[in-house]
Amino acid sequence: MPVFCVCYAVHILKRFVAVVAMACLSSSRLCARVQDKLLCQFGHKVRKQTVFVKLKPPGPSPLRIFGKTCQRVTTCGPACGSGFTAAGVGRRLASSLQSTSTGSLPDYGTQIVDPYRLLEDDLNGIYEDIRSELERNTNQPELNTIATYYFDGQGKALRPMVAILMARAVNYHVYGENSALLPSQRQVAMISEMIHSASLIHDDVIDQSDFRRGKPSVNVLWNHKKVAMAGDFILAVASMMIARLRSDDVTLVLSQVVTDLVQGEFMQLGSKETENERFAHYLTKTYRKTASLIANSVKAVALLSGADESTCEVAFQYGRNLGLSFQLVDDLLDFVSSAQAMGKPTAADLKLGLATAPVLFACEKYPELNPMIMRRFQEAGDVQKAYELVHASRGLEQTRFLARKHGAEAARLAAHLARSPYQRALEQTTDLVLNRIK
Amino acid sequence: MSLSRLCRVVKCDLVKVQPSSALVSKLWGPCTVREVSTSCTQPASIAQHSTKPDWNRAVSEAEKIVGYPTSFLSLRWVLSDEIANVALHLRKLVGSNHPLLKTAKNLIYNGKNNMQAWGLIVLLVSKAAGHSPEIPDMEQDKAAGVLHSQRALAEVTEMIRTSHLVHKGLVNMNSRQPIAAEPDDMMFGNKIALLSGDYLLANSCSELANLRNQELVELMSSAVRDLAEAEFLGERDEQNNPLPSRPLPKEQIQEATEWDCIVDPLPMGGVIGCAGREWSARHVLAAGALLGKSCSAALKLAGHKPQLQTQGYLFGCHLALAWQAFLDLEAFTGPEPASFSLVGAPLAFTLEARPELYEYIEAGKKSVQDVDYHALYTAVLAGDGLEQTKRLQRSHIARAVDVLDSFPNCDARTALANIIVAMHHEHL
Repeated sequence: MPVFCVCYAVHILKRFVAVVAMACLSSSRLCARVQDKLLCQFGHKVRKQTVFVKLKPPGPSPLRIFGKTCQRVTTCGPACGSGFTAAGVGRRLASSLQSTSTGSLPDYGTQIVDPYRLLEDDLNGIYEDIRSELERNTNQPELNTIATYYFDGQGKALRPMVAILMARAVNYHVYGENSALLPSQRQVAMISEMIHSASLIHDDVIDQSDFRRGKPSVNVLWNHKKVAMAGDFILAVASMMIARLRSDDVTLVLSQVVTDLVQGEFMQLGSKETENERFAHYLTKTYRKTASLIANSVKAVALLSGADESTCEVAFQYGRNLGLSFQLVDDLLDFVSSAQAMGKPTAADLKLGLATAPVLFACEKYPELNPMIMRRFQEAGDVQKAYELVHASRGLEQTRFLARKHGAEAARLAAHLARSPYQRALEQTTDLVLNRIK
Repeated sequence: MSLSRLCRVVKCDLVKVQPSSALVSKLWGPCTVREVSTSCTQPASIAQHSTKPDWNRAVSEAEKIVGYPTSFLSLRWVLSDEIANVALHLRKLVGSNHPLLKTAKNLIYNGKNNMQAWGLIVLLVSKAAGHSPEIPDMEQDKAAGVLHSQRALAEVTEMIRTSHLVHKGLVNMNSRQPIAAEPDDMMFGNKIALLSGDYLLANSCSELANLRNQELVELMSSAVRDLAEAEFLGERDEQNNPLPSRPLPKEQIQEATEWDCIVDPLPMGGVIGCAGREWSARHVLAAGALLGKSCSAALKLAGHKPQLQTQGYLFGCHLALAWQAFLDLEAFTGPEPASFSLVGAPLAFTLEARPELYEYIEAGKKSVQDVDYHALYTAVLAGDGLEQTKRLQRSHIARAVDVLDSFPNCDARTALANIIVAMHHEHL
């Protein structure tokens, strides 16, 4: 009888969620793209849910529990079955109903695997876990408020997603089908997001930005000294979590990330004279500021899995290429996307005096950009002029080409791992990064 | 000055301590106040020691004992790209009155509050406690009598402390009061300050990782967390300068929570509004935790038992608090200063005795510069705040000396004792 009730409730909730998701998200372009892609794969019902899952990353909103009940069992590896709780039973029943309606288990070889959906169970509650970890580490309410501000579940959670995906793919590679995600690997996923946020918080103070993720950034709301301290605090807590994994190698790998981030930030202070130097400088900076975190956190999960050296290296190189591709697209979007879609102002890099790939490419055709780069777009009209020249040149196209090249390299590296849904999803992630609009 | 002499000094000082007034004894459980010894010969003549032990001499002699202090200003640092970069940018800030310049100046010129003393203490503790015979020769600095890992740790301690001071020196651009100087200069200064602090923090991360001891990484990271927490405790003005909390009547103070776990964050029960405890909590977070945890970590590296590691923590913590009390007293020894710390122990005790004085503190809600320092200064001198602070300092010194006694007699122990005595004597 209780099982029956749960089952019924789940059914009602599912409908409600699907309606809500459609109603509030139908305007998004991303949503449309995902829908188009999936339309040919699944029935109408599944599509709605996919849209919901896709655009609702794990977060604190009450809808999350509905998201969990909507999950399809087909995405689950053998090791992630939950205990026989009422919810678990209800979920399983609901899921099995679902899989019969869409036919047999999908063949991952040909199908598009949405990594966020594939890892829904693992990513679920990751922000809550981070927030409670931070809360546990302070008795100062204001510090807790500032430190948890960006862990509201509105981010893309790309770094934890890639880390968990790699963890599962490598575990599958090493131990075969019956492998599970290690708790320590999930910790690394959390740590990667925490290091990222700590650096965002410090960036906000440095750049005096107004908006991030569609809400006022930390430096607008609080005392800058306290904001800086909150960044240090998050880093300290992350560092304690790293230490608790009790692995010398993982600590070394992750401490490299912090060093890289700061060195990248220092590189951003200066600019190089000649064009050749400038591009190499830009790529190194991009690696240090963005790719290093992704590369080293996937390397850390591979180390924790006990994979051999060459597999760890594959993981690292995958992360490096994915990270470079991600940042190149980011720099591109700064020129083409609207402020609304990004949740932060556009042409922000130019306004900060930074010459990113599109500008550096545009330089080849319009050498008049060179003096502007050297003076960091400080003179009146520089930003506008540079913006127009980039659009007139093939800079955006070339940037996309380079991003695609790194994405393809990442996908090629992912092919070294044993075939599994997770390995497929690693390949898919490269497309996801390239085709995103925010 | 030998250790036994110091002990006698401390012992005879403790004669004046009323056991009930040992506020701090609550903090670390029942404080074993030493037996008041009547056998103490000629207390007066020792207390008024004619040749005042000089602070600078005590420190520079201690430095010789452990070789060079630490490698903080070694060539490696001067040649680092990032430091060179910072130096270049600092020049642009000259004339802008950004606090970073002052921080940088304080880092270079030695004073009693300079950072190198912290690394020095860690090294002295390392040497005084010795290390287990199993540690291979390769890992020892034979000449100085410390381990290479301990030297690295001392460097990390200094880096963490410096990084914190640099981050503390940011200017809040978000205040309602207009920033006096050029906003662009201030913004640029903040950028450099934040990045330099982060650079030091990142370096301490990788130095710690290289020690390949995860318990140690956890301990030291928790010290970084404590420093961050310290900046949030209690009332603040718009530039985040600390203000004391309004003193609460005894019956309104919450029950105090024991401070018994080192790695967990410091419990705040019964802290706010209680003069002595608030002072202790503030400075344990801002100073004691780092020095204590560093000393404890140094003993961990040497392979000492957990019990001794805890003793090391207590030593560092009490020493830092005694040091802080000493700095608080300093403002009241010479001619009247233009301003002084509003969260110093003398003022805290004075406010506790005369809560009506808190209205002077409230005037500083926007900026600590609006406070009438002269009125507070007079009130402190009129009350027994200074006397209570001296008692507080003595009790912390006594606790630190207790730990010191458990180390074998050696030059490093004597040097630590000399530093304590030098600090102790300046106000006698």
